[in-house]
Amino acid sequence: MLNNTITKFQRTTLATLFATCALASPLTALSAESNAKPAAAVPVVPAPEVARWESEFPAISAGKWTGPKLADGQPNIQGHWSNTIANHNNFTDPQGGIPNDPNPNRLAKGPRNQRAPSRVSDPADGQLPLQPWALEKVKEFQVGFHNPTKPEYIEPLARCAPGGIPKTFYWHGFEVSQYPGYVLFQFNSGTRIIHLDGKPHLPSNIKLWNGDSRGHWEGNTLVVDVSNHNGKALFGRSGEFVSENAKIQERYIFSSDGKRFNYVATFDDPSVYTRPFTVTIPVKRWTAEDKTNGWQFEATLANHPQGKVLLDREERICTENNGGFGLGARK
Amino acid sequence: MKIFDVQPWQKCARLVLILVAGLAVSLSSFAAEKLPRLSNGKPDFSGIWQTTSAADYDLEPHANRKDAPPGPGIVEGGVIPYLPQALAQRKKNFEARLTDDPALKGYTLGAVRGVYYPEPFQIFQRTNDLLLVHQFGHSVRTIYTNGTDHPQDPNDWWLGDSRAKWEGDTLVVDAKHFNGKTWLDRSGNFHSDALHVVEKWAFLDANTIEYRATLEDPNVYSKPWNISVILHRHREKNFQLIEDYRFTLDYDEYYPPKRPDGQ
Repeated sequence: MLNNTITKFQRTTLATLFATCALASPLTALSAESNAKPAAAVPVVPAPEVARWESEFPAISAGKWTGPKLADGQPNIQGHWSNTIANHNNFTDPQGGIPNDPNPNRLAKGPRNQRAPSRVSDPADGQLPLQPWALEKVKEFQVGFHNPTKPEYIEPLARCAPGGIPKTFYWHGFEVSQYPGYVLFQFNSGTRIIHLDGKPHLPSNIKLWNGDSRGHWEGNTLVVDVSNHNGKALFGRSGEFVSENAKIQERYIFSSDGKRFNYVATFDDPSVYTRPFTVTIPVKRWTAEDKTNGWQFEATLANHPQGKVLLDREERICTENNGGFGLGARK
Repeated sequence: MKIFDVQPWQKCARLVLILVAGLAVSLSSFAAEKLPRLSNGKPDFSGIWQTTSAADYDLEPHANRKDAPPGPGIVEGGVIPYLPQALAQRKKNFEARLTDDPALKGYTLGAVRGVYYPEPFQIFQRTNDLLLVHQFGHSVRTIYTNGTDHPQDPNDWWLGDSRAKWEGDTLVVDAKHFNGKTWLDRSGNFHSDALHVVEKWAFLDANTIEYRATLEDPNVYSKPWNISVILHRHREKNFQLIEDYRFTLDYDEYYPPKRPDGQ
């Protein structure tokens, strides 16, 4: 069934793909995005709507880690994780729907304060401190997105580009695994290796979708310094961006019960912004006791002869980059 | 005739033999002791690996040509046992290789080609699994060593489904459920979605892996065939994988938005 989906998908045009993307709103995100991104080869068992997103989330203090540790001393935070508030439809009003969505039924209703807060936690008004020219570009994208007459109006994730930072943290669930010297993220779109050994960053002229990451642990907090970011991955369907000059410092603050972490990242990019800003994304753990749902939790139960409960993670190879889009679109 | 001159030589020769034998024994045990191992005692293949062979140009023996250096090939017996129709397809692929090789489009390489493609890949290993992160596309192949079997009603995957067990210090991987969209090299050698691969991964020494694989595919080959390639550990200081999502290159220029005044 999935293969049929993929084959059909490969035949779609860029415009159709775009239309599919545009269908998704936070209220219908799960099914619509499963269509837009058939890479996840799991049977979709929809979770109850009510359990999908939360509109507020707890703060987690940086401090000691009292949970289990790995042999090399790292806090053991391996497993499946997903953000708790929304997909990438809207960066600063995560449950507000895609800006300028022509279908009013997909726009969020009710007052702003009943929806999850902006992912921008500093400045306090929740807005990005964009320079005027950059704000104009964002507004232009928010119009162009719904009628992409230029290639730059296509959200790059729809072309199967890696989600990049910070979008990967709110595009489907992801799996974290740890090794001496490394933390490895397997995102739905892209793979990220955090080096813990303090080696120097790559030469600055090498620019990457996920940047080049150096991390270390401070108690319950994984602190990651990101450079070499190519700035190409937009923050979402609302079109915010950084340039390739951005410096990003990420803090993954884990609760010692191992159930949640808050991703708190400071972006410093004088080419696009008037001041540094901070992004906060709440994340919760998913386990074998949860139902897979094709979005936050995409693992499947492994086939163990004695019925041991183990999870498989199927490959996440974006269909489009292997089919009708990107380089493939030219053929 | 006295043999004064001979006896000391004999003694000496015996001594040398004993010394050499002893050295050999200690060297081999030294090598065995030095193999990196996980906490459960199994060989630990963690590291960044790459072949120096020309396998990806053509798995079969080939003379030089404009787009490939010569190479002895890595196919046991030298020839892939194609069925007649498949051989015709392989010839078509070869003629169109400069446009049709899926790797040129940035497509995921597939499990086998990923091993000898001329870019590094990194193995991240735990007792329950090995993750192979290929620099090319940063695609991740999981090889499970947790006692699980292939899924019962699976989809087809670019990298297949890999379940492994240990035979002594050799990791034996059973891989199947592939799609039929990948090539085995840039010369057009190919397989169908019926491909079944049995791989054997073993250390030759702490910095060298011998990779062997048996490929069978009743849609394409008349019998199973074998390849073997040596993988070397990258030991350059601070060596690391660098993202190679090259399928994005055609649209890279559109992002991020540019400042209108060009500053």
